[in-house]
Amino acid sequence: MVQKTTPHAPPPRAPGVTPADGTGPPRAAAARRPARRRARSRQWPGAVFISPHMLALALFMLVPTGYAVYDSMQTTRLVGGTHYSGFANYSTVLHSAEFWDGVRRVLVFTGVQVPVTIALGFFFAALFDAGVVKYARFFRTVFFMPFAVPGVVAAVMWSFLLLPGFGPYAKLMHTLGFGHVDFFSSKLILPTIIVIVIWEWTGYNVTILYTSLKSIPQHVTEAAVMDGARLGTIVMRLKLPMVRPTIVMLCFLNTVGALQLFTEPSILAAFQPQAVSYGFTPTLYVYNTAVGSGDYNLGAAAAVVLALIIGALSLGAFAIRKRAGEFR
Amino acid sequence: MSSKRFARRPAKRPTDTVPIHLYGLRRGTVTVLTLICAAFALFILAPVAWLMINATKTQANVYSTNGFWFARPFHLLQNLSALGHNVSGAGVYLHWLGNTLLYAASAAIGATILSAMAGYGFARFGFRGANALFYLVMSTLLVPITSVALPLFLVYAKVGLVNSVWGMILPSMVSPVGIYLMRTYIDSSVPRDLIDAARMDGASEIRIFLRIVLPLTVPGLVTVLLLTVVAVWNNYFLPLIIFSRSQLYPLTVGLSSLSHAAETGSKAELVPVLIAGGLVTILPLILLFLFLEKYFRGGALQGSTTG
Repeated sequence: MVQKTTPHAPPPRAPGVTPADGTGPPRAAAARRPARRRARSRQWPGAVFISPHMLALALFMLVPTGYAVYDSMQTTRLVGGTHYSGFANYSTVLHSAEFWDGVRRVLVFTGVQVPVTIALGFFFAALFDAGVVKYARFFRTVFFMPFAVPGVVAAVMWSFLLLPGFGPYAKLMHTLGFGHVDFFSSKLILPTIIVIVIWEWTGYNVTILYTSLKSIPQHVTEAAVMDGARLGTIVMRLKLPMVRPTIVMLCFLNTVGALQLFTEPSILAAFQPQAVSYGFTPTLYVYNTAVGSGDYNLGAAAAVVLALIIGALSLGAFAIRKRAGEFR
Repeated sequence: MSSKRFARRPAKRPTDTVPIHLYGLRRGTVTVLTLICAAFALFILAPVAWLMINATKTQANVYSTNGFWFARPFHLLQNLSALGHNVSGAGVYLHWLGNTLLYAASAAIGATILSAMAGYGFARFGFRGANALFYLVMSTLLVPITSVALPLFLVYAKVGLVNSVWGMILPSMVSPVGIYLMRTYIDSSVPRDLIDAARMDGASEIRIFLRIVLPLTVPGLVTVLLLTVVAVWNNYFLPLIIFSRSQLYPLTVGLSSLSHAAETGSKAELVPVLIAGGLVTILPLILLFLFLEKYFRGGALQGSTTG
């Protein structure tokens, strides 16, 4: 490292062990100071290396976000053009029952889908990790496969499978004695979408949790086995706490994804228009307001509100995570 | 007896799991657990099997025959060839396939270059504000795509990027996950000493990056490349918002317009085309996975687990 270049190099030290200022040998401290200053003068290329990405980030995320905030405070009328209207659009969004219905629906969706997906993911990952399942390699590949299937195709496939009357699953339910089940009825549409999204994302969670479980040193498990711990105890008491940071991260990613639910309901709407309303989810509300009705100002306001809701939830989760001492 | 077996274990080293007989499971447990996995595998595979089978059927047979078994006439080739024509008025599938390939390839290459540069910048340089900028990058992970897509469209409308392929490709190059992965990867696989030694020899920063850093991070680069390909291939909301001309659609938006056309009733004969199109959409990525499985297993998702 840099010390090697100085004439009065300190004796070699274990990497990562740096004495705090004043406690180290004086000769070493004196030798380190100019080296560090020289090191700092070499840091500017770092800024150059990150600048292309930061430029793209600014142009394609920060500027649009800023513009959306600006746009959400304008109102465009057929007569009279565009003018500043303050928080009028926000007021419209916040007073829209349709919008809040969507928010509530998507929160219920998230509250069910995310825990189920992660629990299933952990269950299968733990089985594969412990090696208590035959053909585990085959199963891992199969479970991960939906990651390669775009939400659009997944929704199309499931729409056909679930078609009332014609679809094989409706027929199956009929054979099993459940009568005529309409998976697209207002009662069942949300559970239906939950099943589709679980189908899409469980394998991804399995793969990440499996990788994480695999990184636990084997001797830890061996020691527990030698102490006579049962498999269930080892998984729940030993391994689960060790992969908790991964689970927390998966909660984040799954939740942010779930709160934006759009593709599946919007494709299902093509098959069963009555099943999915205009503001079925907040994202559908944004899309239908802006693109469907052409009210971009109101759509922008809804998009900002949605971003704020998701941002607030994320910050809240971050705060909890930080207090739990898991934030790096 | 079991301790004797345990002592013998290192002999068959390739296995990296604790031998399962040590868990003291009841007889039949492995069979039961395997059956549970098989049931879930059935749940996962059923829709894909349905897609493959029904891509070979005529429109009438899709509705009237058993969804999980083949029916005559075998219509696969006709359904596939229909993908080359504008049968729907919605657009030509092959066109969308070409677009998707273009968007995915260029965005993935761009994202990989930007992520490698930024990851290196964050991993090996401690310039002022680096930490704050890194947190900014990471926080964009939590920004909803849908909250950016509409604003992007609004900006595009001002600067004339609506219906421009650049409007699709350039934003897809911004990859916070890619930067996170590259930073972690470079941290663990590019020795600082090597960089310092190269500097001592008078190598320029660009040269160090191209000749030392990049070759040492190839697995990381491939990972970012693949993840971006998947993300762009499957992206629906952004192209849906920014493209209004069907010649520019990627597969996802094209298929959704096809499904709208097929399901509104007037073009019901499109149903088999839609199904065949769905099959052709997912096959390339599934094949890519099977070929590059070790990247997706070993490295691809690992970086995101350590967060």
